Amino acid sequence: MIELKRITKIYEMGDSQVLSLNDLNLRIEEKGFLAVMGPSGSGKSTLLYTVGGLLTPTKGDVTVKGTSIYQLSSRQRAKFRRENVGFIFQTFELLPYLTAQENVMLPLYLSGASALEQEEAGEEALERVGLEKRACHKPTELSGGEQQRVAIARGIVNNPSIILADEPTGNLDQKTGNEIMHLLCELHEKDKLTLIFVTHDPSKAKLANRVVEMLDGHIVTR
Amino acid sequence: MADSKSPKTLARSFSDGLNSIQFGFFAIELQPVVSFKYNTVVNYNISLASNDISIAKEPTMRSLTLVSRNLSRRKGRSVLSSIGLILAIAVIISTFTISQAMEMQVGDEIEKYGPNIVITPKTQSISVPYGNVVTGNVTIPESTIERIQTIPNKANIRILAPKLYGQVQYGGDTILVVGIIPDNEIQLKKWWSITGDFPRNGTNEVVSGSALQSSLNLTVGSTLQTNDASFLVTGTLNETGSVDDYSIFVPLSMAQSMFNIVGQISIIDVGALCKDCPVEIISQQIMDAVPEVRAIPVKQAVETRMKAVEQTASFSLLLASIIMVVGVAGIMNTMLASVHERVKEIGVFVSLGADNSHLYKMFIFESIFLGLIGGLIGTLAGFFSSMLLGPLFINVPINPANTPLHLIPVVIGLSVSACVVASLYPTWRASRIDPVKALKTV
Repeated sequence: MIELKRITKIYEMGDSQVLSLNDLNLRIEEKGFLAVMGPSGSGKSTLLYTVGGLLTPTKGDVTVKGTSIYQLSSRQRAKFRRENVGFIFQTFELLPYLTAQENVMLPLYLSGASALEQEEAGEEALERVGLEKRACHKPTELSGGEQQRVAIARGIVNNPSIILADEPTGNLDQKTGNEIMHLLCELHEKDKLTLIFVTHDPSKAKLANRVVEMLDGHIVTR
Repeated sequence: MADSKSPKTLARSFSDGLNSIQFGFFAIELQPVVSFKYNTVVNYNISLASNDISIAKEPTMRSLTLVSRNLSRRKGRSVLSSIGLILAIAVIISTFTISQAMEMQVGDEIEKYGPNIVITPKTQSISVPYGNVVTGNVTIPESTIERIQTIPNKANIRILAPKLYGQVQYGGDTILVVGIIPDNEIQLKKWWSITGDFPRNGTNEVVSGSALQSSLNLTVGSTLQTNDASFLVTGTLNETGSVDDYSIFVPLSMAQSMFNIVGQISIIDVGALCKDCPVEIISQQIMDAVPEVRAIPVKQAVETRMKAVEQTASFSLLLASIIMVVGVAGIMNTMLASVHERVKEIGVFVSLGADNSHLYKMFIFESIFLGLIGGLIGTLAGFFSSMLLGPLFINVPINPANTPLHLIPVVIGLSVSACVVASLYPTWRASRIDPVKALKTV
């Protein structure tokens, strides 16, 4: 279970301050499937990164599976991310100089897995997203949909319990976007992953069990 | 299920081109089988006694893979940024190579310059300066030679040539008689050339200097009749332009019995070579070991040349350290640019669970890699340029066998540490990057 208690996040932008999250409360059940909607600048991504342990809130407390993650040291929080969280980004963010499989193996490398473990898990994750035949291709040799699949494989390779996807279909055409959503739904159902994704597209949001809408750092509908 | 994975992975490894398999002392059996899953290739079933097997294969992510891939995508820039470093290493290597070759050349020429220390008795009642030698009544015991060979820098003494001076009367003239150990004397005076031979065992046999030979009309085999004795001339010394031309040379033992001073010598000429210490130090050591003698250092060309070599070398090293500083700055600049360029990548790494130690490792590894490559290229460039330029500009042939190979680990270590130092600040900057801001940069 993920619990955000009275989260406030203020960005300092030169002299002015931007209130990104404003006293936000949110509770996400284990194995939940949550879509976050809202206009640009409403704090959707900030919420996502705060849950993922990447963004220390100005005020408030984030608890994941009973651990208050911002009370951990940054090193422990990195370990928390390695073990529990898989990020998926709008622009995929694959490393251009590594092959698909090497990109997928990165989280395992970071957690110090052996060569054999890396290879096995990397291959398995690529199989899960249906890209085992593209393992040795560089990102530039892959289509947008394929790149996002590789990124999803990278997100799940460490067997995390939470997947955080920031507009995962934002850079894809309708058909490919639907395929990616289908894949994410499948992962949520089969692997019992908690899946939180940010989207602008109501048709994608409908797939989720629960949709929250944000405005000015608040959650306006539940 | 877990067991079935290993052979599958291994099978793929083989079909993909395996670099190496390392295993303890386990036998490994390869059986070609056709797998249904990978029906395009023939795979291998592997049975082995233990799963203690590690595979070094390209798809494995290691820090090295990461770094080499990242560097290889910007090869040109990596090399350009290392140019300062490469240059500095090349200058260091060629400086040492050339100066070592010059020192060896000077060392080989030491004999041409003759003795550089003359050992005489400390007190001399009647001294007769004669050329660069001194004749006198006071002598030193022959055992002094052994005592000299106990000094701390004894290894730097190449030749000890003891002599006993005496005189014989020829009509109204006086002829200088020099008792020598022929082999030592020849070694010290490489310019000597003899017609005939030195007297080895015979008594009353001499070699005559060229001036005496021509004025007394002596040839090999003729007899030199002095007021007291007659000598058989076994050899004549070609003209040297020194006092030697007016002397006759006899074996030391014969001179000692002729002048009735057995076991005594007049002076010792010393040929010493010391790169690291001035000849004065050796002289002082001799006087410390044998207080009753005076060891006089003879200033000469060897030292002047050695000094020139040393000065050139230290100037080159100064130059190299300046280039090194510039090189370090260049690498630091490139790494800062690289950090700046890879801001988003760093954000991705952090989101995947990298902590500062991972980032440090990545950047430090990168710098070690750069340092190794730069050091190697610089070393090769240094050796090749010195072999090319040495003979061309300063007329010193470089013998590849004499290149200072022991320097290689030193300069590569230097190059690596310079790169690591250069990477510290950029690495620190990388670790301060806010991952969320980084991920949001377009």
